[in-house]
Amino acid sequence: MATTTHTAMDLRAALERVVGATHVRDDAGTLLTYATDATPLERGRPDVVVFPATTGEVAGVLRVADERGVPVVPRGSGTNLSAGTVPQLGGIVLVLTRMNRLKEISAGDLVAVCEPGVRTIELARAAAAEGMLFPPDPGSHTTATIGGNVAECSGGLRALKYGVTRDYVLGVEAVLPTGEVIRSGGRLVKDVAGYDLRRLLCGSEGTLAVMTELTLRLMPAPEATGTGMAYFGDLADAARAVSRVLASGVLPVTLEFLDRVCIDAVEGYANIGLDRSAGALLIFGQDGDRASIDRDMRRMAEACEAEGATQVRIAASEAEAADVLQARRAVLPALSRLEPLTILEDATVPRSRIAEMVERIQEIARRHGLTIGTFGHAGDGNLHPTIVLDPADAAAMERAHAAVDEIFADAIAMDGSITGEHGVGLVKLRHLEAQLGAEHLALLRRIKAAFDPNGILNPGKLGS
Amino acid sequence: MSGASGARRGIFTEDLLDRCISCGFCLPACPTYDLTGVETSSPRGRINLMRAIETGALAEDDPTVVEEASFCLGCRACEPVCPAGVQYGALLEEWRDRVWRGGRRPLKLRALLWAVNRRARVRLMGVPRRHARGGGEAASLMLGCFERALYPRVSRAAKRLAPELRAPANQGCCGALHAHNGELERGRALAAELGDRLPGTIVTTSGGCAAHLASVLGRERVKELSQWLAERDGGASDGSGEPSRRLRIGLQDSCHLRNGLGVFREPRALIARLGEYVELPSAAACCGAAGTYAVLRPEDSARVLDRHLDEIAAADLDALVVVNPGCYRQLEQGVKRRGLRTRVVHIAELAAEAL
Repeated sequence: MATTTHTAMDLRAALERVVGATHVRDDAGTLLTYATDATPLERGRPDVVVFPATTGEVAGVLRVADERGVPVVPRGSGTNLSAGTVPQLGGIVLVLTRMNRLKEISAGDLVAVCEPGVRTIELARAAAAEGMLFPPDPGSHTTATIGGNVAECSGGLRALKYGVTRDYVLGVEAVLPTGEVIRSGGRLVKDVAGYDLRRLLCGSEGTLAVMTELTLRLMPAPEATGTGMAYFGDLADAARAVSRVLASGVLPVTLEFLDRVCIDAVEGYANIGLDRSAGALLIFGQDGDRASIDRDMRRMAEACEAEGATQVRIAASEAEAADVLQARRAVLPALSRLEPLTILEDATVPRSRIAEMVERIQEIARRHGLTIGTFGHAGDGNLHPTIVLDPADAAAMERAHAAVDEIFADAIAMDGSITGEHGVGLVKLRHLEAQLGAEHLALLRRIKAAFDPNGILNPGKLGS
Repeated sequence: MSGASGARRGIFTEDLLDRCISCGFCLPACPTYDLTGVETSSPRGRINLMRAIETGALAEDDPTVVEEASFCLGCRACEPVCPAGVQYGALLEEWRDRVWRGGRRPLKLRALLWAVNRRARVRLMGVPRRHARGGGEAASLMLGCFERALYPRVSRAAKRLAPELRAPANQGCCGALHAHNGELERGRALAAELGDRLPGTIVTTSGGCAAHLASVLGRERVKELSQWLAERDGGASDGSGEPSRRLRIGLQDSCHLRNGLGVFREPRALIARLGEYVELPSAAACCGAAGTYAVLRPEDSARVLDRHLDEIAAADLDALVVVNPGCYRQLEQGVKRRGLRTRVVHIAELAAEAL
């Protein structure tokens, strides 16, 4: 016990020398609030929480940890949905939100340079103010930091047309767990000098290095956006409509769907006039110049009608568009109000198999006596099966875990993924081998060891 | 699920505490998270602290728990951005009801609550001041407690705007101060008592009182002044015409009026008829007055206010309108300290001047 106390005091003192006493916290209340992120049920308990302000301070903290073999869990705003920022082995939670300088928005080079603690929406707003677009827009973008989004390779609603976070990372500055600072990539679109480490770090979930500066690609902002919606009697009809839309030469910016359970929950909660008799709701949208928006919106409406849509509407005004999008935004709040616990997954399948997968999910829900609403990104096959239940019901919890296992197995069997955008984190690690295979996992471990020989960075997760 | 034992201690209403899904969407809306960047000082962090004391994982007198119950402004800016509909303000009231019980309540707070705890004392506070009195038979004008002593001109202006309002002096305090500061039951009882003494619609010039009264008496019975005027006049022009010089006028929202009752368009619409309305970037964010907060935690309160003063200076406003007496005092003092030319004025006064 005396040794432990001595070690803890030594650790705290060493960290204070790096970042200053006011930026090291180890009171019980603070440790408790950094024990979790946005993932239900999962919690750890850090020994200390540290708030560095510079790349040098990050390097200093990592050296202190590496010398002592203390785990370090990097964290932004803590919106992670796979327990990737839960410190299940204790150690240091390294909070990067003080590193929140937006250093540059360059219209000439179409890039933004910023520190990892900048919130994603702040970056998007700063780009928009200069007539540019930063497309990745995960659901948490008002809170989440860009550093967290890069570390998780976050997706969002516009992925079909614009891709995901990795498609916008041009360069990174990162601190290795052993304290060295490296840079990979930069302001160039073309740059093949060396392995593509910036891509490797993107989605590495805080297990390889701590990113301290990001250079991000921007796009010219589109002139306007159009939005519409279509009801179908059956999700299979909606899925065929999606295929028809894409075959018609349109690459929509938005293509979202809600299943029957979601429509019912949203209408019950928000009362916005949704058709509760429908089997699926498809929300579609396009951005660009006015003429091409009008043309594409018309084509998408026609594709929906051709596949038996029972009702199609194109929003005539901004207000009407906001109403349509409200239906999508209200899904999670609506579902979460049904029961105390909400388990949000992100299994992903090839686009052509969405209807089949949603049917499987509904069958699994029926068999286990669970409520599972499925909504998601029809354009990219990223589904959000959402289980709502009371965690006090132990039997239901067990059935929910079994249902999640089956959903993952089905997704893998359809050439899909256990996670499209939330990350592996702690909660999906045990499913990773089923998708990747043993050799692949062994390679991940060798890569992890090359970056992090002492295994201090977010241990027990990806690559461990 | 959390904590050392699964048993609940009954400090919080179960449904209220279970509502939070820990998504973290509240973080950027929180002024104290903005100041510190520390999760513990955010709504999600505080709810995790509440859950910990509810299960016994943390003691209710743990220093961090006590500090955070007090550091929170109680502005409820986290409520409109919450996708799960967490009633944070109600949780905070239950929390303070527990941690500020009896001897643990700050001394300054005990003095403030004592002053307004009895109707006679509240009435006495207004005697040397000339607040609005008597008359009218339509709705009743609430005179407030500290407002009638500090800003009697506000109720007089309201009476000029609406002579039909009744304004009896012996009406007491609405109990908002009690409810927000650890005397939930007393706060509710005072609101009910006020409701009995002022039958029918109650019109108030204080956003904070409006939200508390409405939570006890129901929204239908309680209207903030600009909201009530908008309903009375049906949004029609007041006939005052184009002011000779267009004043540049900003607004400081009342947190509970905006976040609790969703009233924020009405004061803006009224101001737009009186001059050129300028929306300050932080108009909707707490000014740091936060009821008793400015008295209990003057330094933190001033830090919260700083950004607002920066914006008022940058916008070079002629007037900054307030709709709550606490904000009135906070901004008046802040503007004076900074030496800004902007006049801080209650919406009732500004509207009455245009008559």
